[in-house]
Amino acid sequence: MLPKITRRLLVQTGAVLGASTVFAPAKLAFGQGDVPIKVGMHDPLTGTYAAEGDSEVRGAKMALAEINAKGGMLGRKVELVVEDDSANAGLAAQKAHKLLEKDGCAFLMGAVSSATALSVNQVAHDKKVLYMVTGGHTDPVTGSQCHWTTFRVCTTTYMLAAGLAGTLYKKFGGKWYFITPDYAFGHTLQEAYAKLLKGMGGTVLGNSLSPLGTTDFTSFLIKAQQSKPDVLINLCDGQDLVNSMKQAAQFGLMKQFPIGGGLSELEVLAALPKEAKVGWWTLEWWWDQPNTPHVGDWVSNYQKTYNDRSYPSARTWFGYAGLHAIALGVAKANSLESHKVARALEGLELPSEIKLQPNRVYFRPGDHQLMSSEFPGEIIQDGTYPHLFKVADIVPGEKIALSEKETGCKLDYQA
Amino acid sequence: MTLLIFNAFNGLIQGVFYALMALGLALILSLNSVINMAHGGFLVIGAYLAFTLSPYLGFWGALIISPILVGAIGMLVERLLVRPLYKRSDPLYSLLLTFGIALVIEDLTRTIWGPQGLPLEIPDIINSPVSTQYFFITGYRLFVVAVTAAAAIGLYLLLRYTLLGIRIRAGISDLETTSALGVNIYRLRALNFGFGCMFAGLAGVLAAGVLGLTPPMGNSLIMPSFVAIIVGGVGSLLGALLGGLIIGLAAGITTTYYPAASEAVIYLIMLIVLVIRPRGLFGEQGLFE
Repeated sequence: MLPKITRRLLVQTGAVLGASTVFAPAKLAFGQGDVPIKVGMHDPLTGTYAAEGDSEVRGAKMALAEINAKGGMLGRKVELVVEDDSANAGLAAQKAHKLLEKDGCAFLMGAVSSATALSVNQVAHDKKVLYMVTGGHTDPVTGSQCHWTTFRVCTTTYMLAAGLAGTLYKKFGGKWYFITPDYAFGHTLQEAYAKLLKGMGGTVLGNSLSPLGTTDFTSFLIKAQQSKPDVLINLCDGQDLVNSMKQAAQFGLMKQFPIGGGLSELEVLAALPKEAKVGWWTLEWWWDQPNTPHVGDWVSNYQKTYNDRSYPSARTWFGYAGLHAIALGVAKANSLESHKVARALEGLELPSEIKLQPNRVYFRPGDHQLMSSEFPGEIIQDGTYPHLFKVADIVPGEKIALSEKETGCKLDYQA
Repeated sequence: MTLLIFNAFNGLIQGVFYALMALGLALILSLNSVINMAHGGFLVIGAYLAFTLSPYLGFWGALIISPILVGAIGMLVERLLVRPLYKRSDPLYSLLLTFGIALVIEDLTRTIWGPQGLPLEIPDIINSPVSTQYFFITGYRLFVVAVTAAAAIGLYLLLRYTLLGIRIRAGISDLETTSALGVNIYRLRALNFGFGCMFAGLAGVLAAGVLGLTPPMGNSLIMPSFVAIIVGGVGSLLGALLGGLIIGLAAGITTTYYPAASEAVIYLIMLIVLVIRPRGLFGEQGLFE
């Protein structure tokens, strides 16, 4: 039996339909404001760089809370979707696709391992999505493989080397032996060091490539010891740095020659046993800057957020500055479109409550590299957490970075 | 030449460590018929427990207590998870199970102790090189060799002269008959699994003296131990011991000439052994051929 359409039913339907058009626009507009803007973050939460990845996520979450407390991006709430990349380039690319296609993220950020930064760099460019590299240092990310979509917070491997090479040369001499992690980060860092060293008139005695995740560094240390270097340059990072330093200390090598390196981090310093707390390194941010405004407040804010007696590291700052930079770019562009945000970020200077360091910090327009400082210095041997490092100098990034021309970066904006 | 001798020596020391891991694996494999993929996980538990216990018991106390606790945890795991799978003849089930357990242990460690690496301090007496020329022979490394030797001899004496050991050996050669003769093979297998895990726990404490503690630290150490068993011969404890030494030595020699291949060479040896003598050096006939 067919339902009988009466005049009354018709009028009722019409009324409901009419009324719906009255309410719908208002409801729709409200609904739009309610749809959060998602930012996808990939970082290693497992594997050799898990501690560093965790710190970056913590920093990003602090920024997230601040951004949302001030009304989000363009009045919309911001959400952070975090994926574990295990410091694996293939997995990171896969997760980047997932973040964009399944979660619908508007922007990407993250990376501890340079290898993952390079692979997601490619994905983000293919998808024309802005990608804020928080912690992959290898030069090509803002050099030979740079893209208009990619910006980077952490410094380049060249800057890491340039921040410390001169000091090591003057202090200890020019015959250096290298232990280099065998992937993008290590290779570019070692090349930069070798170039700087030769420029100063020194010699490279040898270079051992250690696979990422090496547990026994003895054979490399034996070779280093046999070459009788002025300085042993250990370019490992993360757990590899902990293991190699621990073994070098047990072999008593620290008494035979000084050890220096590229990058060290609070996460690494905390994991070193007492006898391995030696050497000259570069940090990219340090929690103890009594004369820099906002740093003290930020550290205490961190400790209120994460009540586990830990201190924020350079990685925490990368995550924090990275997400804030995206939000600043969106606000300046007044748009969520990646190419507009990218243009807005070029030359953008971070305000002092975000940069948390004395020097001028800005995204260079020619290669999208953030000009942040290096903090070279020495490990305090009998230091206790968090007083583990003595910063000797805070070097402005623009003084030591390769010029925009030298990086080999040509931004590929489409006309 | 000095470089070669240095590296060969270092390889042997490394091999001793693989052998310690391989012994536990071989023990579990032969009586429990379980390819214990969670062995690296038990190693990690051993290392972290030592870190937690050492402020109270000191390094020496932790060195003894921590492996025993790992053995107890191993027995618990065996009772709750592994035992129900003995009935299934396909070893794939227990392999998948222990693989899962390995992942759970890694994540649990991360949850309890955090992803941040932790340092285990070892006593100063053994924490320095024996001589400046042979700087890579540290007191600690000699100590590792000594502990491993003691553990291997202890295991040999246990299997050779105690009732429990005789039962374990009987169970390995014929489980059904052993059961028919009135031995409680469930308890026997549980104890054996516990022993195997104890070896992993001991390896963990020893590893923590050379490596920083991280939740995935077991992963890179477990593979060479499997290779050691295959090279030495499945089912043979002596084979596991020698297999560990052989691959350690081979890796050490290779690293002198071509460092990048030092990891590949152990798999190459495994390949050669599998092709020429599938049962391994001391393995029983029939397992692979």
